[in-house]
Amino acid sequence: MGKDAARAEWDNPMQFVLACVSYAVGLGNVWRFPYLCQMHGGGGFLIPYLLMLVLLGVPLFYMELAIGQKMRLGSIGAWRAINPYLGGVGLASVVTSMYLCLYYNVINAWSFWYLFHSFQSILPWAECPVNSNLTGHVEECERATPTQYFFYRETLDISGSIEENGGIHMGQALCLLLAWMIVYLFIVKGVKSTGKVVYFTATFPYLVLIIYLIRGVTLHGSINGVKYMFTPKMEQLANPTTWINAATQIFFSLGLGFGSLIAFASYNQYNNNFEKQAIVVSMVNSSTSIFASIVTFSIYGFKATFNYESCLERVRLLLLNTFDLAEDTISLENVIHWIAELNRTHPEQFTSLGGRLETCDLEAELDTAVEGTGLAFIVYSEAIKNMPVSQLWSVLYFIMLLLLGMGSMLGNVIAVITPLSDLKFISRYMSTKTLNGLVCLFCLLLGLGFTTRSGNYWFTMFNDYGATFSLLFIVLIEVITVCYIYGIKRFEKDVEDMLGHRLNCYWKIMLAGVSPILLIALFIFYIVNYIQGGTPTYQAWNKELGKSVVTEYPPYAQAFIGLLLASSVCCIPLTALYTYCKKRNLASGKRERTVSTVSA
Amino acid sequence: MLVRILVLLYLVGAPALAQTLCQPNASNGYRVRISIKTALGNQAYEWNENEMFLFQATMAFAMRRYYKTETYNVDNIIVCNQTRRVSFWFVVISPENPTMLIPKADVEKAVSALTTRLPCRPMSNSMSRHRINNAFLLTDRTLEFLGIHPTLAEPVNPDTPPWLIVFGVVIGAVFAGIIALLVSSLLQKRRKEKGMMEDGQDEEDRQMKGVENGINLDGIYNRGFTDDDRFTKL
Repeated sequence: MGKDAARAEWDNPMQFVLACVSYAVGLGNVWRFPYLCQMHGGGGFLIPYLLMLVLLGVPLFYMELAIGQKMRLGSIGAWRAINPYLGGVGLASVVTSMYLCLYYNVINAWSFWYLFHSFQSILPWAECPVNSNLTGHVEECERATPTQYFFYRETLDISGSIEENGGIHMGQALCLLLAWMIVYLFIVKGVKSTGKVVYFTATFPYLVLIIYLIRGVTLHGSINGVKYMFTPKMEQLANPTTWINAATQIFFSLGLGFGSLIAFASYNQYNNNFEKQAIVVSMVNSSTSIFASIVTFSIYGFKATFNYESCLERVRLLLLNTFDLAEDTISLENVIHWIAELNRTHPEQFTSLGGRLETCDLEAELDTAVEGTGLAFIVYSEAIKNMPVSQLWSVLYFIMLLLLGMGSMLGNVIAVITPLSDLKFISRYMSTKTLNGLVCLFCLLLGLGFTTRSGNYWFTMFNDYGATFSLLFIVLIEVITVCYIYGIKRFEKDVEDMLGHRLNCYWKIMLAGVSPILLIALFIFYIVNYIQGGTPTYQAWNKELGKSVVTEYPPYAQAFIGLLLASSVCCIPLTALYTYCKKRNLASGKRERTVSTVSA
Repeated sequence: MLVRILVLLYLVGAPALAQTLCQPNASNGYRVRISIKTALGNQAYEWNENEMFLFQATMAFAMRRYYKTETYNVDNIIVCNQTRRVSFWFVVISPENPTMLIPKADVEKAVSALTTRLPCRPMSNSMSRHRINNAFLLTDRTLEFLGIHPTLAEPVNPDTPPWLIVFGVVIGAVFAGIIALLVSSLLQKRRKEKGMMEDGQDEEDRQMKGVENGINLDGIYNRGFTDDDRFTKL
């Protein structure tokens, strides 16, 4: 039976489901899935995606919920209870969650910054600022676009490379402080406060997405984007990268391996029907991804059409001015026709145009696939600034980003706090409120490092390496532990105890067979990719060129990457070794003493 | 007779002389490009000689405002080379000496004369360019003087940036919320303690039973009572 009847609990199962939804539905659904859809053949990508959901996502999700609900402890305690030698799995989860907590809230800080800057008559990323002697615009902004300038210069004040450090950006630091204060407000009373907050953070983003969907499909040109996305390119299915990306997206989108799901489930009633809930949450997460990508692509279509038509307008003006034709001879529709015509009739004058004549291509505009912070803060803001009443849409959009990010942050922080508060020596000396406050303060102070001028480069490093590889390893060990070391039969009995019915074949086959094989395949692929990739590189913003250039990481940064990977992975073997040594000392100590009343 | 011939020559020669002063790519001339349909769409007006007259009059007005002593007239603005695009060249000649062209730099200063730096007060003696644009219902982009760059409006810099105000409001609300939650839980704890002290005897009995029922945070789950013998093979 579980430890204590005094453990906090969710007020009702709905809160638990909403907490899981709020955690799983995060920024990745909005900014990574549409990108993958575009890269891997549009509608055709749904096939590997849904297949991986069934083979990999749902069974592993189910397993984590089962462990949490059965053991009624955070990840460290739960894994130690399953097998004392593998308590390190829980510790590795906590370390990885800690890294995630450090850098993830910086995204929320950026969302706050953009949200607060939306309350102006002209959005600051709509136009380039004027330079000091009022003759033109700032050169860096002229070379790049106003949205890029606002993100890289005014929001981040980014330096040229990871080696050039700088001071802390005060605005960013203030926004990070606000983000951590809000996280603390949401978790200060444990699941009692979190349970009420998730009603809002889980449902409001859907409201905004629906409003955006209506706005998006009514924009001029949006249909181009949606058509482009959904046209399936079936030949992409033959590419193994498609399947691997589908698997990794399912894996990371559901938030497996961080310990958050175990922590959430540990506050459940013992007999809660988590089987149905696991299926529901996974389905909701995947459908949200698809829904969000429809919205994203209608916005893409609008932006691409807008840029294409602006390009045509510029070419039209150029032709009118060079050839001195009356204004209404060339319209947007017959620009292309006139180019050919004028090339034929006035060849010398035409060649004098030279490089100023742009080629306008709608397909090329749609092809610019972007993911991550670039999509959310640059591409989307560019689309929003061209909408009518752009301030309203901007505010709505960044509130949605904030809610998605905050919902995921709640899961991350609870994944760290629950195992810590289960440890006896901590719970004896301080209350949950103090522990929560200390964790938030600690993460805030370390997170200030990401608000420095080179902070974005460290952020990218954490984002790319902090959680990806270690999670695969952690979940692989989890599945092998539960199925083979703890035993699938014991697991089956535990589940029957909680739910009242046995595991059916689907769960057994997936957990014991298919999922481990898929995980091993992913793991091998990651290692091979890493070795083949050569020196790890990053995108550094070059202010003279006004764009990002690929730069190699310096040696100390590469060492840091190695440290990030090793620090979480090593927890597992080190803890096993430590437990082994402790047991041996205890055993040899027992032999010496005749009477032993062992208390741990 | 001779006087009449001279007058005739002057009347014929002067415009001819004026025309030779105005040429495309003249060193002291400016090219003007007008895009009426782009600016006004359906409400665009036709560009004809009357509009050209208005242009000459406004240019003369701009020159008068700049050179406050000399009186310029419509005849002092000479235009030539009008195209279908609606673009043309113009030069300005001095009122005293019809053969002398006003230098390019002075014409530029007259067009973009700026006496106050506040763009929000167009009615006072502010930019001549603004007045010229308004006469034609056009903007800096649709009435272009090629070679004269419009000076950009100075950015309005408020003392407190607006984002800080919104930030201040939000962080104040969050801080108040945190304090409220902490204080309320503190009050709740104190109320519970007071309640416990009042019925202390009952509490003790309840607590004794509590220990037996398992609220024992220092205990360890005793696996001796599980019925599986297959623990871990390690």
